[in-house]
Amino acid sequence: MKYLTHTLAAAVLSTLVAAPTALANDQVPGEKQQQPIVLQGGTLHTVANGTLTDTDLVFSDGKITAIGKDVDVPAQAQVVDISGQHVYPGVIAMDTTLGLNEIEAVRATRDAREVGEVTPEVAGHIAYNADSEIIPTVRYHGITHAQVVPEGSLVTGQSSLMQLDAWNWEDGLVSAELGVHVSWPRTYIVDTWWERRSPKEQREANAKALKHLKQVFIDAKAYYDAKQADLNIEQDQRWEAMLGLFDGSKKLFVQAEDKRQLEQALDLAQEYGFKLVLMGARDSWRIAERLAETQTPVVFGSPYGLPARDDEGYDQAFSTPAKLAEAGVNFAIAYPGYWDVRNLPFAAGQSVAFGLGVDEAIKAITLKPAEFLGVADRLGSIEVGKSASFSVSKGDLLDPISQDLTHLFIDGRKVELESRHTELYEKYQQKPAK
Amino acid sequence: MKTKHQLSALALAFTTAFSASAVADQTSRTNGMRDNTPSLIAVQNATVVTEPGKQVSNATLVIRDGKVVSVQQNNRAPEGARIIDATGYTLYPGFIDAYANYGVPQAEKTSRPDAPIYNNEREGGNAANDAIHAEQNWYSQFKTDSEAARSYIDAGFTSVQSARLDGIFQGRALTVSLADKIPNDVIYQSKSRHFGSFDKGESQQQYPSSLMGSIALVRQTLSDANWYQQAQGKQAQNGPVEFNAALESLTDIEQTGIVFKVQDEKSLLRADSVFDQFEVPTVYVGSGYEYARLNDVKNAGSRLILPLNFPAAPDVSGVDAHLDVDLAKLRHWERAPANPAMLAQAGVDFALTMHGLDKADSFWPNVKKAIRHGLTKEQALAALTTIPATIAGVEEKVGKLSSGYMADFVMVKGDVFEDGVIQSVWTQGQEQELLPRHEVNFAGDYQIDWQGTAVALNITAEPTAGGEFTWGEENIKLRHVASEHDEMQFVADLPQAEPAGTWRFKLAPSAQQQFTLTAKAPNGQEQQLTAEYSAAESNDQKLTETEVDYVGDLTFPNVAYGVNGLPERQDVLIRNTTVWTATSDGILEGADVLIRNGEFAEVGKNINAGNVDLIIDGSGMHLTPGIIDEHSHIAIDRGVNEGSEAITSEVRIGDVVNSDDIHIYRSLAGGATMAQLLHGSANPIGGQAQVIKLRWGANADLMKFDAAPESIKFALGENVKQSNWGDDMTIRYPQTRMGVETIMRDGFQAALEYQQQQRAYERLSRSEKSKQAAPRPDKRLDALIEILNSDRFVHAHSYVASEILMLMEVAEDFGFTLDTFTHILEGYKVADEMAAHGASGSTFADWWAYKFEVYDAIPHNACLMNERGVLTSINSDSNDLQRRLNTEAAKSVRYCGMDPHEALKMVTINPAKQLKVEQYVGSIEEGKHADFVLWNNYPLSAYARAQQTWINGRKYFDRQLDEQLQQQVQAEKNALIQKVLAAGDKAMIGADDVYKEDQPTWHCNTDHDVWLDHFAAGAHSHGGKH
Repeated sequence: MKYLTHTLAAAVLSTLVAAPTALANDQVPGEKQQQPIVLQGGTLHTVANGTLTDTDLVFSDGKITAIGKDVDVPAQAQVVDISGQHVYPGVIAMDTTLGLNEIEAVRATRDAREVGEVTPEVAGHIAYNADSEIIPTVRYHGITHAQVVPEGSLVTGQSSLMQLDAWNWEDGLVSAELGVHVSWPRTYIVDTWWERRSPKEQREANAKALKHLKQVFIDAKAYYDAKQADLNIEQDQRWEAMLGLFDGSKKLFVQAEDKRQLEQALDLAQEYGFKLVLMGARDSWRIAERLAETQTPVVFGSPYGLPARDDEGYDQAFSTPAKLAEAGVNFAIAYPGYWDVRNLPFAAGQSVAFGLGVDEAIKAITLKPAEFLGVADRLGSIEVGKSASFSVSKGDLLDPISQDLTHLFIDGRKVELESRHTELYEKYQQKPAK
Repeated sequence: MKTKHQLSALALAFTTAFSASAVADQTSRTNGMRDNTPSLIAVQNATVVTEPGKQVSNATLVIRDGKVVSVQQNNRAPEGARIIDATGYTLYPGFIDAYANYGVPQAEKTSRPDAPIYNNEREGGNAANDAIHAEQNWYSQFKTDSEAARSYIDAGFTSVQSARLDGIFQGRALTVSLADKIPNDVIYQSKSRHFGSFDKGESQQQYPSSLMGSIALVRQTLSDANWYQQAQGKQAQNGPVEFNAALESLTDIEQTGIVFKVQDEKSLLRADSVFDQFEVPTVYVGSGYEYARLNDVKNAGSRLILPLNFPAAPDVSGVDAHLDVDLAKLRHWERAPANPAMLAQAGVDFALTMHGLDKADSFWPNVKKAIRHGLTKEQALAALTTIPATIAGVEEKVGKLSSGYMADFVMVKGDVFEDGVIQSVWTQGQEQELLPRHEVNFAGDYQIDWQGTAVALNITAEPTAGGEFTWGEENIKLRHVASEHDEMQFVADLPQAEPAGTWRFKLAPSAQQQFTLTAKAPNGQEQQLTAEYSAAESNDQKLTETEVDYVGDLTFPNVAYGVNGLPERQDVLIRNTTVWTATSDGILEGADVLIRNGEFAEVGKNINAGNVDLIIDGSGMHLTPGIIDEHSHIAIDRGVNEGSEAITSEVRIGDVVNSDDIHIYRSLAGGATMAQLLHGSANPIGGQAQVIKLRWGANADLMKFDAAPESIKFALGENVKQSNWGDDMTIRYPQTRMGVETIMRDGFQAALEYQQQQRAYERLSRSEKSKQAAPRPDKRLDALIEILNSDRFVHAHSYVASEILMLMEVAEDFGFTLDTFTHILEGYKVADEMAAHGASGSTFADWWAYKFEVYDAIPHNACLMNERGVLTSINSDSNDLQRRLNTEAAKSVRYCGMDPHEALKMVTINPAKQLKVEQYVGSIEEGKHADFVLWNNYPLSAYARAQQTWINGRKYFDRQLDEQLQQQVQAEKNALIQKVLAAGDKAMIGADDVYKEDQPTWHCNTDHDVWLDHFAAGAHSHGGKH
């Protein structure tokens, strides 16, 4: 990202002056559900209760009201025959900058990274551009929700859960300020030409960064304690934002890849009694036993990852979800990014090729994220009473050769599957042959 | 041994300046008294090693006026000679270091300018590139430097070949004696070899910014030198041929040769192929990694100069420390000390150098380490004497001890290759004493008759001098122990002595095995006692143990998952499988495929195989052609972009193929068998591409697929106009898409005019040619002419419709077809125009939004181009995606309903056609190369996994074998870690900066000056940067 922090070419800037229209998509958010809908005869991947074939799904006022064979059709219901098709809970993409970044190389369109090392006070939903052209292209793959996470170098901010069919961020906000995100300091040393420090210097720098982070928690705790004691103190936005960690109302999301980072994060969370969610967690397979024992939520972020080290097997990242499942780790799968999070279902499919069960793969991108984000009562599975947020696909959602969405619902609203991409496709199909 | 070397350094500190000069300066006026001290010296009773493998015992070496007069057995000294008794000493010819920077000032370190510098300052007829200093003759700046000579002399060196070690052509070295005299007297060879390297050193000029750029510059410069030799004094196109001192100096490099420093064994081979082409004799300053490609290094046929900077072991002591250490490093730690022995056994001649050692006093411990790892003493001596003498062009003067050679030699107590200690070093007949010649060894036991009482005294030398008296039952420690070379003094508290109290002592030798102990009583009385001496048992480890047990493996490449050799070619029958032919035959169910002689012999049902090596039951599996990637940046060493100048068509990715890249193996595991390695996209006309087959284990040359026609990378848009490179990078032309067009036109126009000049020159008569210089061959323009002649095909990085149309128009105006647009994310907008021109497109499946010019990219691009008749492929441009191009192709099924077999063609036969290799690979057809993949599932599915990947009937990847390999890697790594831990502190001795650094993940726009270590573009982030 470094190279982007410099000035843009004048040509690009002048284009962006007229940007608002260019950066807003044409898709109209779906209307509030007006009448009950019955999806008849589909294969329901409920996640909660297995896969139900030839089953009807009824939803009304944005909520699932009935699941079963040959269920009664409510009055005034719209009936849709989806026999031969599959219904999946809306996929929840964790760890994204969707809506914060539009064009990575154009600085004016990037809103994911605040200046400073410790910025817990910033929250993802505030800058979320519901009109981003990226969002409809992500929905196209059955992704209905996204956790929008500020980026940064140490304490990066707070994430929010958005539903992906909205007029603006207020409209799209499902759950604000879910927790505080920490990008864990480096623990490892490298020997590459861009690292000019010796191993010793690197270790010292790593230790210093960790000390800095620990001090952040000491300070935040002091603030919390002072507040608890009703001391008359002036407000500190940063520590204010972290209060919820100490009273258990917020989670601590830690971006950590290396084994030592993961262990340090576990230790710290234990020390303070934080509710920890590990994000990224490339080396989680190395400490699967401990993770299983503590049932720490793990959001594995490298389903398509290269091996982290030359000595690891070529398929290390591909097979990690299977290893986590086997060890009983409580995990979800993410594919961090923004435009490319649309590949999350396929990434989960890749894990299947390397040993993960299909149902577990689906769960890892639906119910598990819902649990980790505290919305499993509403989202993540196809159950009566839950939000009517799901996709209907002619084929397997996890496989590019068969995924083919015919419908997408969020809270019972019909969501457009068109996007800048489909529109440009349509447009240029009409270009006369030369 | 370490202590003794410390002692020698100490000894030097009080070695006095030289005695009066024996050889007077010949041109200096004498001020004061003339020095006419006689110089005739006879060193007697020595063992004289006259040259490797030859020695004379009980010899007398006679020297005079700085030269050897004679070496003879039992020779009587000439009358009047100064006699030196060298009983117990061995004399060796003085050692020669053929690669040094001694007495020649180092290059000035200049601060890095913010704005790029494209042209250097011209002075004195220098070269156009600031990394070329070939015109320098370093003797002209040479001064003797006794301070700098000290570390060499300490190790027994008497002469060095020296130059300023900076830049690509560094100028001509000189060979000098390390004697402390005026330069006029010590220069043995004023103009010895040229020195060089691929590193541009302190040059601030942008070009070259990559290894391939350096190689291209070497090639062009040597070509220029040839041209200059012919052209000098003639008329060029636009005036008289210029004076160029650098080129003039290189005109006879075929005779002088070059000493060339390389960063690893791969670059050694690279350099060798360039210098061979110009018939330049070479000596390579090695890296210590030569053993990793021993045969190739041997076949290069050059002498080497080897540093002895054996690595310290990586730190593996922490419970997680192994996570940061690769197996390859541990292997090198174990194997590096065997490098000299392995080269010697392979018959490669080499010299040893002090160069590269952080600490000069680690030289001898490392020589001995090399000997413990199998180097013979004779080979080691040759590497220090005769071989470097030849390299330095002084083999007639030094390197041996015989009549007429310089009196440069080393006096060693004992055998220098075992436990010997260098006592003195003689340069041109002058002794530089490191230790007193007849130093007394006090360590041992003494029996003293103390007025009738038997008292024992024990003296120890290490770690510090000390000792104790044993008086009856009691032991009394010595205090204040101090020794000089022939006496030792100390103090002891002796209650038993008469008178009791603190006594002072002096111990000195009196006769053989006898010492006199002078004892001063507390009352001031002094007495002389006799002490019978017996020597201490030596605890020194014998150095003769040469058996070293290796627990690490040695593979090709020598990294984790390397192989012991290329897999065997097998005749194979695959039965009853689903064959995706990538031909008009489509997908065949239940088919057999027969492979013979590395080719598909038959495809059909129920094939009668006859004799085959292997039958594979393919039921439940799918067989596809090997995946071909039109756009890859794996397997490239030190820079994917020569991003300095706008046109760099002379640089070749083929020069920098990195056969050791683990991504070759990882891509095989994803079913890829062939990749076009492309130059980056930092400039409008980039470098020449290289098509390789992913023959993991082979060297770079064997990986190259020579049947592929030549190709080259062009680039358009944001990267080449440096849109995202920051404020400093705004001065290079072009900065707009308009300028991209014009600079390309200007380049092609220049090439045409150059071609016309060449043709015009060819038409000249002989006499006209004697006055007219030939046009200077220009590798940059040569490549452009190849494009114009359709001998080289363009793969153009491109995004937006306007630039695509522009480039096709340029191509049409210059009469060639723009063959392949790569990335081509807006190809769907101009697909008809592309089809009409005859251009193909190789695109990403679904990338977009990472920069402004890809904001209109759509994942339906491949379908639209395909439908409009554009030959379309899907590429990776990524070491990650290259492993899963099958599912990337499948995205066209997802987005726009492409037929699955057509989709597979986009990663097999279609890219084969784009690379113009479709007659060899890309489909399952009789007669084509047996490059194929066996999948466990429908090959375009997310659930598919490559089980086996074959190239030319050889199995390069097998998932079952890989599972074993993964375990072996861990086991081997554990064994090596145990070895490091067992070695304790000893493992930590050595250099810590000699391991190969990890190569970064290269992207199209990684513009990294690998020599200045300066990135213009940033690090990777998820899914960006192309």
